Amino acid sequence: MRACVLALCTALLSAPAAGADDYNFDAGQFEKKPFELNGYAELRAERFWLNRENALYQLNFFDTEQRSQLNRNTGALELSGLYRAGIASVQATVHGEAMRDELGHEGEASLYEGYLGLEPATGLRMEAGKRVLRWGKGYAWNPVGFIERPKDPNDPELSREGFVLLAGNYTRSSDGPLKTVSITPLVVPTADNLNEDFGAGDHANPAARLSLMAYDTDIDVVVLGAGARSARYGIDFARNLTTNLEVHGEWARITDAAKLVLNASGVVTTQTGDVSSYLLGLRHLSARDTTTIIEYYYNGAGYTEQEMRDYFTFVHAAYAQFLATDDSTLLTRARSVQTNYLRPTPMRRYLYLRVSQKEPFDILYFTPALTVIANLDDGSASAAPELAYTGVTNLDLRLRLFFLSGGQLTDFGEKQNDRRLELRMRYFL
Amino acid sequence: MGTFTNLTLRLNPPSPPFDNEGFGCLPIFDKGLLGCSPPLKKGGQGGFVFRRAPIRIALLALTLLAAPAHALDGDDILRQVDRKLNPESYEMYRKLINIEPDGRKKEFVMFSVKKGRDKMIALFLDPPSEKGRATLRLGDNMWLYIPGVGKPLRITSLQSVVGGVFNNADILGLDYSVEYRVEKLEQKPGEYRLDLKARTAAVAYDRLKMRVDAQALVPVEIEAYAASGLLIKTLRFKDIKDFGDGLRRPATMETDSPLYKGYKSVMLYAKIKARSFPDEVFTLDYLPRAGELR
Repeated sequence: MRACVLALCTALLSAPAAGADDYNFDAGQFEKKPFELNGYAELRAERFWLNRENALYQLNFFDTEQRSQLNRNTGALELSGLYRAGIASVQATVHGEAMRDELGHEGEASLYEGYLGLEPATGLRMEAGKRVLRWGKGYAWNPVGFIERPKDPNDPELSREGFVLLAGNYTRSSDGPLKTVSITPLVVPTADNLNEDFGAGDHANPAARLSLMAYDTDIDVVVLGAGARSARYGIDFARNLTTNLEVHGEWARITDAAKLVLNASGVVTTQTGDVSSYLLGLRHLSARDTTTIIEYYYNGAGYTEQEMRDYFTFVHAAYAQFLATDDSTLLTRARSVQTNYLRPTPMRRYLYLRVSQKEPFDILYFTPALTVIANLDDGSASAAPELAYTGVTNLDLRLRLFFLSGGQLTDFGEKQNDRRLELRMRYFL
Repeated sequence: MGTFTNLTLRLNPPSPPFDNEGFGCLPIFDKGLLGCSPPLKKGGQGGFVFRRAPIRIALLALTLLAAPAHALDGDDILRQVDRKLNPESYEMYRKLINIEPDGRKKEFVMFSVKKGRDKMIALFLDPPSEKGRATLRLGDNMWLYIPGVGKPLRITSLQSVVGGVFNNADILGLDYSVEYRVEKLEQKPGEYRLDLKARTAAVAYDRLKMRVDAQALVPVEIEAYAASGLLIKTLRFKDIKDFGDGLRRPATMETDSPLYKGYKSVMLYAKIKARSFPDEVFTLDYLPRAGELR
């Protein structure tokens, strides 16, 4: 009897599955509409294990209650809208973020993009407004990314704010070894209250990108004329060497690159000169669906090992003086140039390695990964194992733990924290 | 249609379409008679020199008269299967459904356009977490555009663009005759059986065993194998439907895989239409706006 009831229950429970073959697909609801809205809401919880001996802890926390941990919660909302009318379209992206930790809370909202596009013919397009440009082939760094805000190699896929610009694009395609030629001229005007983050002064800041797809190789030649930033030019490429191995590279030449340097005595000077930066990378996919990305980055505008040691030495000395005299003048001076020194990778030579495994043990939508960023100048490094799961529709979950290692006066060895745990939940709307 | 039953035709050696060798070397005939090495030799003066010409011509004529003229070329059958499935240049909508052993489903909707032999774009329209993700294929070159990243990244041709049972071969597959050559054709009652071998290593499945409905000339079932001989998945085509403009083809493809025991995936097809596109659509600059093609 019990077996019969069980069988009946099983049959009833499985009834919907029996009808699962009756699939429905109304493609009409996915046809193009005049207005589209997309976006995501995100919650991020982080714990930082702070190291009071490190220079950047002393610099950032000298005037607050001393602590060994910091817990931070962040909520973010990003919305993108698109409106189409004939050959015209208007696209906008807004990003808002609110953060709270034991030190306080803050929030801000920004227009990441907002521009008008006109496309009178396929292959001919003009855009005006605030626009995000992404130049270069590198994954973690882009030496030829002349018109974009700095990328964080710990999170290269994060969306970033654009600049106000006026751009055109003309593309021609054909059969044969030269498949595509595309030219993108643009100006990024700067003035008071206009693109002030790009640079100071009233300038047109003309730039251009020539893109080719020739002999199965992507090639871009990019140039930015002198203006709010010094003149610079570069080239990048990407190509598949085999069906599971891709190679890419970038090279950039920056004329009159200026660098603020604070020496061990606390004297700030500006060094100016022409520098080159370059990147060489590989992306490999194994038969077991393991993807490996490896990139070598030389940052010609970065700090040398000695310059970085001088800065950290000065911060330690300034902190010691603050403890002894309660005078924070020197620490304030160190803070005045910290934007340059506190970039994610401020020095010369770095190696990026990311290994990710798609769905190990046949666990669908699960991707573990390990990311290592090594400073080849001073031997310090950051290693971040990661677990990502996308099995729930529209919900992305990612858990990462960062381990920073390095000796005294090294890049990663003097960061404010030794470890960081991050849980990110992103729900798509 | 031919009337042979249980006739095995070995196309040996394997060959690309339109190659002389692809048309013959039928084992039931003397190799020399059909001249597979080769049948006609080009002369030095621009003409053709027939060796033992009178005998061969007579035997060839007899052979052509005796055999059904249109049923025996595997590559030709494969090309016909391709045209029965899609126009050479087209747009289409697809829904991909991954069904887990506990009945949970995850669905994706894609819009695809294709031009000629090897230009293709696949754009995800749903769910919102995947919306805007687009893949461009030009021959063996592939790029993936993710809206958050903001630029197309070149990927290896075997890179998976979305999690789950589906891979690039399901999402960005070109015509079967472009990616595979027929190594063996077998005719059974009511169906053809084709053994296919990938033309290049860029193709996800090294070999396919395809059962083709002899009347409708559409696939009934395809087994996909790795180079090691491992069965990767089985595709079953069902629900033949009229898509208009003379296109009658299966509207449903079900997939199961011994690698994902208990899992099943289904692909539903809709709004397949012949359409022409300018070449400039299949470029990196256009890829972020692929949705405008709908």
